[in-house]
Amino acid sequence: MLNYALNRVLTLVPTLLAASFLVFMFIHLIPGDPASILLGDTATPEEVAELSRELGLDEPLWTQYALWLGNVLQGDLGTSVFFREPVLSVIADGAETSILLATMTMFWIVVFGVPIGIVSAVRHGSWVDQATSGGAMLFASVPTFWLGLYLILIFSVWLGWFPSSGFPSLADEGGVSNLRYLVLPSLTLAAPNAALIIRLIRASMLDVSREDHVRTARAKGLHPVRVAIKHIFRNALIAVSAAFGFTFAALVSEAVVTETVFSLPGIGRLVVQSILRRDYPVIQGVILIIVVFYMTINLLVDLAYASLDPRVSLK
Amino acid sequence: MSVPHSIALVFRGRALAAVGACWLLVVGIAAIGAPLLAPFDPLEFDPFVRLSDPGWPHLFGTDHFGRDSLSRAIYGARMAILIGSGSVLIALVVGGLTGMLSAYFVRLGHLLMRIVDVLMAFPALLLALVLMTLLERSVLNTIIVIGIVYATTTARIVFGMTLKLKRDVFVDAAICSGAGHASVLFRHILPNLLSPMLVQVSFIFAFAQLQAAALDFLGLGLPPEVPSWGNMLSEERIYVTRAPWLLIFPGALIILSVFSMNLVGDALRDNIDPRFKDDIAGV
Repeated sequence: MLNYALNRVLTLVPTLLAASFLVFMFIHLIPGDPASILLGDTATPEEVAELSRELGLDEPLWTQYALWLGNVLQGDLGTSVFFREPVLSVIADGAETSILLATMTMFWIVVFGVPIGIVSAVRHGSWVDQATSGGAMLFASVPTFWLGLYLILIFSVWLGWFPSSGFPSLADEGGVSNLRYLVLPSLTLAAPNAALIIRLIRASMLDVSREDHVRTARAKGLHPVRVAIKHIFRNALIAVSAAFGFTFAALVSEAVVTETVFSLPGIGRLVVQSILRRDYPVIQGVILIIVVFYMTINLLVDLAYASLDPRVSLK
Repeated sequence: MSVPHSIALVFRGRALAAVGACWLLVVGIAAIGAPLLAPFDPLEFDPFVRLSDPGWPHLFGTDHFGRDSLSRAIYGARMAILIGSGSVLIALVVGGLTGMLSAYFVRLGHLLMRIVDVLMAFPALLLALVLMTLLERSVLNTIIVIGIVYATTTARIVFGMTLKLKRDVFVDAAICSGAGHASVLFRHILPNLLSPMLVQVSFIFAFAQLQAAALDFLGLGLPPEVPSWGNMLSEERIYVTRAPWLLIFPGALIILSVFSMNLVGDALRDNIDPRFKDDIAGV
């Protein structure tokens, strides 16, 4: 297990370096002089010259990358053209919304996905299974922004149950009750992901239910519910918990669309707005942070998976 | 086995998937016959009838420029098919070749698959967004970007499947009988990959629709004047309270098409070599 973990961590390093090089190259791929791009249209020639020297733009590309990486590792991701603030603090402002949104979304995925997936597998072949499997596939086929717009129309405009947009911080007035701003967005984001989890739980439970130990459990007369939960679901959970991890890792970037629909001040909307504003330092910083986050979570999931299922690390 | 016979086999006992396939046929016909089928010019403004209710002569109503929604939806089918098939083509050719060559030539594979790994470190939508930032908004660029995003997953999948096939006796037999690399790859391995790839194609086609619609919605996909279902939703979203039907029709078209493609993919998956079932990444 320790070997496996070391191996996984060591192979992550080159991938991470290569990915960060791509992110670094992003600014150079945009037509124009990187220093002027990073400073925006309002910069004076002196400022551009000053930044060019700082970035080492007359040095070879590798030296520039080394300089940039050095800054990044010290937490310096540059300065936002639009906010005139360090990129890191701009991103940190969006982190609360993004993390709360992702957590609440995971909550719905578990609350709806797990029981429906189990029922669908236990009653497989029945009309209940066909309805839930079909329904899950239908939800996976819905564009999230379309779902979000209609949830706003029904639950905010017509019924007035939930606010339609924005999210004040939990530290602001209203405290925890501000979470109601995230109910509709998290349901929107959860729908397609819960659908995938339902189908995955069903498939892995059906796989496990064909194994010998399940036949033995049934043969010795255990109650069907006990067999389903303790003997089938618990084993199927290994694959499913990995999927939970991957889903969570992807949520931060998937939230781009949802955060735009609901005008949430999260990291996803920051990406889109920065692209439209041509605020390249922020785009670069956010991509880097999302990629590192995504890869770290994926690594943790792989390690957790290997410790749950010893067969993985022995391969 | 004849073609009608194998089609019948795929859809046996799967009425819903058959309905889905018929729907996709309808979309295909609408795409080809758009100039004949559309009652109005999809780009023509008519300020006198803006935001009119569905009825005669505008069956789906009109948008805020007074353009006929039905005509735009029919032309939108063209974009849906174009984007779907274009990205599938790129994903298959680029991703498929990368995967096959990497699995077959081990040294090359070390390099190519690391590149794939690095690209896969970027979540799909984020990768598409970044690439779109570097490119101009156009139909071709949207297709290229979505194609590249799915080329990475396709490469991974084809890599895995080719590795399995490479160990098969028939490959050894081909090599022993003097077949060259190209012959082994394209005459012996490739035919075995075709049916699982067909399944993957249907899923990529479905994902590409959702991805393209999301890019349109964010204002980073097709140019705004192009009549696509995603653009129709994106442009009319602020009128959702005044004219909810404007979003119902294009939304329903996207959902029906993606759902149908997923159903067809699911039906096809049950008929492929069981060894490859776990490789396919679908819904």
